[in-house]
Amino acid sequence: MNRWLIVLGREYKTRVRKRAFIISTLLGPLLMVGVIAAIVFIGLSSTEMNSKVLIVDHNKILTYSMPGEGDILLPSCPECFPERRFLEYRFSSNALDTESFLESEFTAMVELDDGIMQSAKALLKYESAAPMKVQSAVKRDLGEAIERLRVKSESTLDYDTYKKLKVRIGLVTQNIVTEDRNVENKSAIGFVFSVFMFMFIMIYGMHVMRGVIEEKSNRIVEVVISVVKPEHLMGAKIVGIGLVGLTQIAVWSLLSWLLFLGFGVYAETSGMLIDLMGEQGSQVASTDFMTFIQSNEKLGVLLQVNWGMMLGWCAFFYLAGFALYASLFAAIGAAVEQESDAQYLLMPAMIPLMFSYVVNVFIIESPDSMLATFCSFFPFTSPITMMVKLSVGVPWWHVAISAIVLILTVLLMVKLAGKIYRTGILMYGKKPSLREMARWLMYKNS
Amino acid sequence: MNDSHSLELFDVSKRYGTHIALDGVSLEVPQGSIFGLLGPNGAGKTTLIRMVAGITGPDQGSISYFGQPMSSEHVSSLGYLPEERGLYKNMRVGEQAMYFARLRGMGKKEAERELVDWFDRLEVNGWWDKEVADLSKGMAQKIQFIVAVLHKPKFLILDEPLSGFDPINASRIRAEINRLRDEFGTTILLSTHDMSSVDELCDHVALINNGKKILEGPVSSLREKARAGRIELKFRGNLIGFTAALGAGAVLHEASSLGDNMHDVVLGLPPSIPIEKFLKWATSEVDVLSCTPKSVSMDEVFLHAVQAVSNTVSS
Repeated sequence: MNRWLIVLGREYKTRVRKRAFIISTLLGPLLMVGVIAAIVFIGLSSTEMNSKVLIVDHNKILTYSMPGEGDILLPSCPECFPERRFLEYRFSSNALDTESFLESEFTAMVELDDGIMQSAKALLKYESAAPMKVQSAVKRDLGEAIERLRVKSESTLDYDTYKKLKVRIGLVTQNIVTEDRNVENKSAIGFVFSVFMFMFIMIYGMHVMRGVIEEKSNRIVEVVISVVKPEHLMGAKIVGIGLVGLTQIAVWSLLSWLLFLGFGVYAETSGMLIDLMGEQGSQVASTDFMTFIQSNEKLGVLLQVNWGMMLGWCAFFYLAGFALYASLFAAIGAAVEQESDAQYLLMPAMIPLMFSYVVNVFIIESPDSMLATFCSFFPFTSPITMMVKLSVGVPWWHVAISAIVLILTVLLMVKLAGKIYRTGILMYGKKPSLREMARWLMYKNS
Repeated sequence: MNDSHSLELFDVSKRYGTHIALDGVSLEVPQGSIFGLLGPNGAGKTTLIRMVAGITGPDQGSISYFGQPMSSEHVSSLGYLPEERGLYKNMRVGEQAMYFARLRGMGKKEAERELVDWFDRLEVNGWWDKEVADLSKGMAQKIQFIVAVLHKPKFLILDEPLSGFDPINASRIRAEINRLRDEFGTTILLSTHDMSSVDELCDHVALINNGKKILEGPVSSLREKARAGRIELKFRGNLIGFTAALGAGAVLHEASSLGDNMHDVVLGLPPSIPIEKFLKWATSEVDVLSCTPKSVSMDEVFLHAVQAVSNTVSS
């Protein structure tokens, strides 16, 4: 068996069978889904609380008195104020004063004045802010009631006919060149990709550096390079550890997909989907999870992303970006004898990586800016920036340039790092300066 | 090129930047010998060993290995135990040994068989699944030794193989080193500071200092040379009278009293005076108890050689 493969196999095997790796690989997606689920759950449960809202209608615009019950009013249009799990209405012609409002069971009190038919404005009073869900439900319900009234007084149509005629415009944004849609939401997905990219390059790059330092500090490297060329050892280490990262990415992708599907089945069968749709006032009445996702303004983007393309490029940019930084980290590891000595060399090496991570925040805002374009060509930032650009759509030649520049830089960097590695790995007893490391680049092969 | 040599270095030089690590060194390591490579720290031993181990190459000169130019194809017949060695912490003992065995080109089955044999021999049975982190220093040293010799190398490089061993295990390893030479005809290049192991193990030695070879040869002839005709004489009688009677014929190097009018002296005889003639004369002067060639330790051989070189440099 090829010695290079034996080394690669060791680098890979000893890492993937580690308990920490197995746990983080299996639990990673669960943890992410768990966090998302927790956020959704907290969001839902805050509206579980029953809110009672008092509608004060002085002039009985939307209400009428119950015969013989004086103060208590009933809505003229009961279907406009439906029963909700989280919201109950009471109607009155008189407002409560502050004290009695505070003592009352009401979370909010809405006062309608005479001008409401024209101004379409009402005042909502509260003691502690009503949840967004409640506010938007009140807004929708009142709006519909007033609309009904207006239609009744100003047109010959009946309300249901009018409702059918009414149009609500949704904006779907599209890039005129790439024809990509919903760029804003997609770039958020690209951002998530780039965060992972940063994380994986960082974590597994450090693995490479630590591995090199371990071999150097305990002299194992001498035994190994008496059999395998130093450049080959470095290469096998980088590829082996790179594959560990790729394994994790693959398992995470697969598990996330399965969890997504699993959640879909759960949502469909448990009736959760119907609840969700009711709450967002969805017009589409479907019990199909995918249809639900598609119809949702925010989640719909999940189905518009070309996942195959994203994951494919993600794998490419991860491997190339990782190789670039890992060879840099390997050279740094070879130059020092212990991890603490590596700090001063690591800082400059990590600046472009950090930079691309930080400017990503601006790049998702405007993926077509000069900064974004520069960062997507510059090889030290392109693996991370490209994830955002790819998610929103980018011309093919753009990707091609970025990939070619990156590959060429990787080849050059591996060559240079190999030279530093080869010399550094056998050098003991002194901390080399950057100038000295530059001199190692000149040493000839031997 | 000589067939009886495992390794020959011809005028080998190596420099790192401005530092000359090796300066025109030539060496011949006889096949099946234990060859001691000696020298002070920073003399160039590590550089020389690394070149033989195939880690670096010479800037100048050439190295021949069993009559062929040294190349990467020789790595599977070569064993190397570096100084200050270690093991991978995240691997178990058996798996680690297997890894190195396979790097040296052994098949899985063969490596396993050999390992079981060696584990038995060095009494480390039951360590196969041990974590390296759980091993004591001495235990780890044994594993490293096994890893270096497992693939039955024709040529074995041992850098300070006995450091870190307690006396019992040191003598066991020493016995194994001898066995490798005697049973398998392994040539062993042994680098050490420990002169007692040179005395006990080595057939040949070379001394390098400041990147240059200053001494090379079979241990016995180096000793003989360093003895420089000196003999050790024990007698009963008058020391002052005896010394006076010596005259210009021989040089008195050392003298000590053993009590009861007995003395122990070291004398240098010129080549013109055979030992028999001297003894005849001595027995007529004093009551001779014993007369032996002066025993010279390797320590003395090297101190003497290093001093001789620095004397020529300073003068």
